[in-house]
Amino acid sequence: MKNLTAKLIIVLALISIGSGFFLALTYTYTISHIEANAATEQEAAILETLPGAVGFEEISGTDFLMYKGLDANGGEAGFAYVAEGGGFQGVITLMVGVDPEQEMVTGIKILSHSETPGLGARIGEAAFQDQFAQKPINDSFEVNGDVDGVTGATVSSKAVAVTLKQTLPQALEQYRVSGGAK
Amino acid sequence: MKAISAFINGLWKENPTFRLVLGMCPTLAVTNAAANGVSMGLATTFVLVGSNIMVSALKKVIPDEVRIPAYVIIIATFVTIADLVLAAFFPEMYKVLGLFIPLIVVNCIILARAEAFAAKNGIGKSALDGLGMGLGFTWALTFLGIIREILGMGSVFGIKLFGEGFVSWIIFILPPGAFLTLGLILGLFNAMLSDKKKAKCN
Repeated sequence: MKNLTAKLIIVLALISIGSGFFLALTYTYTISHIEANAATEQEAAILETLPGAVGFEEISGTDFLMYKGLDANGGEAGFAYVAEGGGFQGVITLMVGVDPEQEMVTGIKILSHSETPGLGARIGEAAFQDQFAQKPINDSFEVNGDVDGVTGATVSSKAVAVTLKQTLPQALEQYRVSGGAK
Repeated sequence: MKAISAFINGLWKENPTFRLVLGMCPTLAVTNAAANGVSMGLATTFVLVGSNIMVSALKKVIPDEVRIPAYVIIIATFVTIADLVLAAFFPEMYKVLGLFIPLIVVNCIILARAEAFAAKNGIGKSALDGLGMGLGFTWALTFLGIIREILGMGSVFGIKLFGEGFVSWIIFILPPGAFLTLGLILGLFNAMLSDKKKAKCN
């Protein structure tokens, strides 16, 4: 009896160690790619939502992850921030580009979401995202008013619009306090 | 049983989705587009082949009393590998399937094949069984995905089939569409196979 128990423990322990070894190998091999993917995506999203920007620098001391866009001459080219809002099934994270002088959205880009694939997930399509460019910051962001929602995905569309409406004034103010003054 | 029949078994006669009705959770959840079906199927195939090989190789070492936890560790290891590799090299696909990949662990096809086949057969045959079952699962998911994508979005693999006038049947890409499509196809399969049985009797 005692021998059997010992055997069970040893076998399970050995299998777990083997499993841990293979996982560690896979992890060390893939983690650099996974991190690079996330960084590339973030970078692409910042530049995409800030037309005219060729580079960016992170702004610290704000409630949002915020980046100041830099144009070719090192001048300011708006700012981008990461906003989060509740969607249909989970959190929707988006990058929002803003022109602080004209108080206007320059572009948005959905970074991650867990909306229904093929339905709410279509908020990730250009047709939906592009309409937010050029909208003033104090826009009403009313779905099916001045924002065309995704067909059959009113909740997801509204989630994006409401997130924008709620975070934009706050983000602009914080940018002016901690980033724009520099 | 011949090696080749271990492979073909899963494709048709014991197709995990349409005949064994196993692994319904991912089947219903991911099949709203053809491409999702293909990638979920292939990820599951990888896990099935890997876990079948390992279970078969270790079948003499693993005591009966702890075989289920041992199988689960093996399966979970392969699922995590699949998860990491997809995230690293197929980020677009990972965004769509991300939520479902860890759930392959609890896909009953994998534990069922480990227990019912790999624990009793050699490594080669177990690998073929895993491959057959996996590809059977893949084509079944793809087939469901194609039907639901055509009806629900008017496209196949993202390519639009109809003109602007097409009004998509949105319910087919929502959960009820999964039940409707799967139910009708299961009925069709049963009808086809029971006709054959009757013909044999006559």
